[in-house]
Amino acid sequence: MIPDRRGALPAGLALGIVLAVAAVTAATAAVVAVKRESKRVDAGTLGSGTPVPALAPIASEAEVFRTPVAMLAIGDPATPRRNANPRTLHTYRIRRAYPGAPPRIPHGLTSEEFRTNTCNNCHQRGGYSPRFGAYVPVTPHPELEACLQCHLGDDEVTGVVLPSHDPSTICRQCHDPDALQMAAARAWPSSAWPRLSRSVPGDPPPPIPHDLELRGNCVTCHAGPGAVAELRTDHPERANCRQCHVTQDAESGTFSRPSPSAEPPAGERP
Amino acid sequence: MEPLRRTAPVWTKAPCRLCGVGCGLLIGIEDGRALAVKGDPEAPVGRGFACVKGYHSVRALDGPGRIARALVRRNGALVPIPLGEALDLVARRLGEAVRAHGKDSVALYGSAQWTIPDAYVASKLFKGALGTNNVDSSSRLHAGSAMAGLESSFGLDGAIGGYEDIDHADLFVLWDANLAETDPVLFSRMLERRRRNPAVQIIDLATRTTRTSYGASQSIIFTPHTALAIANAIAHEIVARRWTHREFVDRHVAFKSGRTDFPFGDDLVLEDPVDVAWDDYVDLLAAYSPDRAERLSDVPAATIRRLASLYADRSRRVMSVWGPSLNADARGTWVNNALYNLHLLVGKVGSPGDGPLCVTGQPNGGCAVHDAGSLAHTLPRGLVRSPDDRRRAAEIWGVPEERIDPKPGRPVLAMFRALDRGDVRFLWIQGTNPMLSLPHLDRFRRAARRPDRFIVVSEAYPTPTTAVADVVLPAAMWLEREGIYANMERRLQHFGRMVPPAGEAASDAWHMIEVARRLGFGDLFPWDPSRHVEQIWEEYRRFHADPASALPPLAALRGRAGVRWPLVEERETRYRYSTARDPAADPARGAFDFYGHPDHRAWIWLRPHRPPAESPDDAYPLWLVTGSVLEHWGGGAMTRRIPTLHRGLPNGYVEIHREDAAAQGIRDREPVRLVSRRGAIEAEARIDYRSQPPRGLVFVPSFDEAVPIHRLLGEAFCPLSGQPGRTCAVRLERVGTRGAG
Repeated sequence: MIPDRRGALPAGLALGIVLAVAAVTAATAAVVAVKRESKRVDAGTLGSGTPVPALAPIASEAEVFRTPVAMLAIGDPATPRRNANPRTLHTYRIRRAYPGAPPRIPHGLTSEEFRTNTCNNCHQRGGYSPRFGAYVPVTPHPELEACLQCHLGDDEVTGVVLPSHDPSTICRQCHDPDALQMAAARAWPSSAWPRLSRSVPGDPPPPIPHDLELRGNCVTCHAGPGAVAELRTDHPERANCRQCHVTQDAESGTFSRPSPSAEPPAGERP
Repeated sequence: MEPLRRTAPVWTKAPCRLCGVGCGLLIGIEDGRALAVKGDPEAPVGRGFACVKGYHSVRALDGPGRIARALVRRNGALVPIPLGEALDLVARRLGEAVRAHGKDSVALYGSAQWTIPDAYVASKLFKGALGTNNVDSSSRLHAGSAMAGLESSFGLDGAIGGYEDIDHADLFVLWDANLAETDPVLFSRMLERRRRNPAVQIIDLATRTTRTSYGASQSIIFTPHTALAIANAIAHEIVARRWTHREFVDRHVAFKSGRTDFPFGDDLVLEDPVDVAWDDYVDLLAAYSPDRAERLSDVPAATIRRLASLYADRSRRVMSVWGPSLNADARGTWVNNALYNLHLLVGKVGSPGDGPLCVTGQPNGGCAVHDAGSLAHTLPRGLVRSPDDRRRAAEIWGVPEERIDPKPGRPVLAMFRALDRGDVRFLWIQGTNPMLSLPHLDRFRRAARRPDRFIVVSEAYPTPTTAVADVVLPAAMWLEREGIYANMERRLQHFGRMVPPAGEAASDAWHMIEVARRLGFGDLFPWDPSRHVEQIWEEYRRFHADPASALPPLAALRGRAGVRWPLVEERETRYRYSTARDPAADPARGAFDFYGHPDHRAWIWLRPHRPPAESPDDAYPLWLVTGSVLEHWGGGAMTRRIPTLHRGLPNGYVEIHREDAAAQGIRDREPVRLVSRRGAIEAEARIDYRSQPPRGLVFVPSFDEAVPIHRLLGEAFCPLSGQPGRTCAVRLERVGTRGAG
C-alpha cells in the first residue's frame, strides 16, 4: 500500500504486536491481501466516450495527486476563510497518546453516528461544518471505514488504549503484518514529536520527519482550511510532494562501501 | 541543528548535474564552500524548482571517502602517489601499449557526465593525436538508441522541441518513462499543465505501476518489449480510419526500410536505407491490428484504438515521452523510429505542444557529447567514415588527414569484449562506473582483472570501477571546475569554478592534456590551466560554422541561464525543422524543412516487432526490469554520499507482485535470490512498495553496488545503436526462512 513503512508502528501498538506475533494466522493475512487489491484505477477516463478496461492497482499515495486544488485553498473565494479550524499544534498533540497514534475524537457522537460509522461523510472531503463552526480535518485514509476501531471518543481514552479484541486481528486489518513485525523488532524510533523543520532560504526542502503508515496523502494534513495552521505547507499546489521531500531511514546513517564480498570477483591479476 | 550562518552566501548559477533535465540552480557559496542550493527563478528549466537530488546535490562534493590524490596499485592495494608521477606512469603505459600492440590496443571510455570540453579533448587526443577511434561513452549504454533513432528518422541528433512543449500539450503519452522518479521536474510541469487545464490528460503506458502511474490520468500496463507492436498498432488504426495527415505526409515524409535479418548485437550494422512507398508501409502495418497487438502486449485493443484516436485528434496537441526503458531494447532504434512514425503520420512534430521527446539521463546527454566526437563512430560535428568530416577535423586539429582512421572504433560492449580478449591492453575510464553498469557484469569484471591490462580510472569516489584500477586520477567535480553541459532539450548551460577542487583534483580535460604533453603532443594542446575551458570552446566552435549547428561564444553562455543550441544570429532554436521557428530551415519548403536528410524529408521507417533476445521460460519464468529511483542517480557513487538521499533509500531491493511472492511463500523484507543465465544477486524482497510490478515481473533498482543487478543482464544490443537491454529472464529463490519474530 504505502511505501516506507519501516519503523512504522506506534510504540503501544508495537507492544501489542510483540505479544501477538505468534498468533498470526493465514486468515488475517488474506484479509489484508484482499484489502490491498481492492483499489483500482478509475476506468473509462481515457478520452471521452468508450470506457476502457480497468487497470493496475494504485497505492493510496495516488490520492495526493488527485486531491482537487480547491480543497487545498485557504481564503479563496470558494472557501471563505472564517475561522479555518480552531485546532492548534497543541490540541493536535494532546489528542494523540504518542507521536503517530490515531487521534481521539474530540467531539461527541450521536448514537446514530456511533452506530452507522458515518465519519467519512465529513472527513473524507472536508469542508465547512456549521455544526462545529469550523473546517473539518480530512482523513488521509478514507478507504478504511471502521473508524471507531482506532479512533475513540473523548471519554474513552486515558493514554494508550489497545482494543480489547484480539489485536492480532484488529491491528492487521489496517497495518501490514510484515510492517508490524518490523515495528515490533525495532519499536518506535523516537517518542518525541517530529521537529517542525520549516525550511529557510538556502536550506533544502526538509525531509519527511514521520513515517507514512496510513498517511500517504500528504495534503490532507498539510494543506487546506481543515489543517492545523502550523502544519500547512505554503505550496500545496505543487502536488508531487515527494519530488522534494523524502522519508528518512533513521538507522541508515551514512553510506559506506560494501564489504569485499561485493567487490568484483577475484581475477588472475594481483 | 546547524549553527546560524553569520554571512549571507553568494548565489551563483549552475545547471544541476544529477540527471539529464538540467534544472537551473543557484548555488550558495560561503567561505569557499558550496553550502546551499535553490532553484533559479530566472532559469527556463525548472523555473525556480528542483527535486530532492538537486536540492541536496552540493553535499556530493565533500562526502566521506572523496578521492583527493592520485592512487597507484602496489601489492594489490591502491596507495597515494604525487599526481605528476601518476600522470608520468599513465603516459608511459599508454605509449608502451601503442608501441607494443598497435594504436587500437588503447581505448578511452567516458560518459555524458563529461563536460563538452572534456569530451572534445578526449576525441582530439585519441582520434587526432594517437589515431585510434577507440573512444566511446556510457551515453551509448543509456541513450544510444535515442541518438540512432533521431539520426535515422530526422538525420540529426538532438531533440526536436523541448520542455516548453509541456506548457502547450493537451495529452501526454508516457511510454515506460517513470518521470515522477527519473525526471521529476518535468513530471511536475505536466501536473502543473493539467492543474491549469483539467482537460489535459497524462497517460502512463508502462511495464509496472509507479509513482508516475499514481499521478497519471490513466495507467496502462504492457508486457516488456512490446512497445513497438503497440506503436505499429496505433499507426494501423490511424491509417485504417484515414486519420493520417495526408498533406503533411505527402509534403514532408519519405518511407524507408532497412535490414531486418540481423542477429542480436554481435556487431554494429550500418543502415543502408531502401526507398519504399506508402503502400509498403500500409502492408507492414497490416500485420499489427489492435487485436494482434493485444495478444502481444496485453494492452486491450480498445485502449489501443482509443490511443490512436487521441494521437490523431486534430484539436489535441500530443507529446510522447519515452526514455532509457524503451531505448534499452535489442531493437531500441526501431522503437524510437516507430514512435516518431506516429507523430509524422498525424503531422504532430516541431510545433509547440506537439513533441516527441526522448528523455536521457546524463547531464550532458543533449547530443553535445556525441557532437564533440567522443563516440566510436563520430568526430566533432561529423562521422569518422566521412572524408569531408575527417578533412575538416584534421585541418582544425592541425594533424595529417591520414592520421584520422576512417574505420569506426569499438563501441562500448565491443571495447570491453576486446579488453577481455586482449585486443585492448590500455583502458582509461573517466567519470563513469562500468564495473556496475555494464551488462553481463561478471565477464567484464574478470576482463578488467586479467594480466597485462592497464586500467586508469578518473573518479571522485571509490567505486567498483576504481577497485579494478591500476591508477586512479582524482577528478574535479562539478563546481570545482568550469564546464558546459547540454541538456536533453539542446540547452547549453555553463557553470564556473566556484569552489577549490578537492586536494590535487583537476578536470578530466586537464589530465588528458598533461598526458598528451608527456607523449609529445603538446603543440596540439597549447592551453593553459586557468583558461583551458574557454580556449577549448573557441576551437570547438570552429566545427560549427553552419546555421544548423552554430554555437554561442563562451561569454554569452556565462551570462545566460542557458542557450537552446544552435544559436543563429542571436536566435535560439526552440523548435527544429519548423520554418517559422528554426533559423536553419528553408521557408521555401513549406511549413517544415527536415534538412537533416538530403531529401529534406523526415523518414518513416518500416520497423517490424521482434521478440527480445531473452523472454521468460520454464527455467527462468519472470521478467527482470531494472531502472532508476528518485533519490539516486546512476550507480549511486555521488547520491549515496549525500546523507539525506542515502537515508531516503539506503539499499537496493527486489519488488515482487504480492501473488508471485505468495506463490513462493516469500514475505515482505525477506532476503531473496534472483538468478539469470549469467549470474545471481541477493536482496530484500519488497511487496506493494513504491512501485508495483504486475504478475510475472520483478523490478530491481540499479543504484546499489551491493546489489549489482546488471550481473544478470545479457549482452544483446541494438545493432544500429550499440545500446544493450536492461531486462532479461530470471528465477526467484528464497534464501532462507525467517525466525518467528
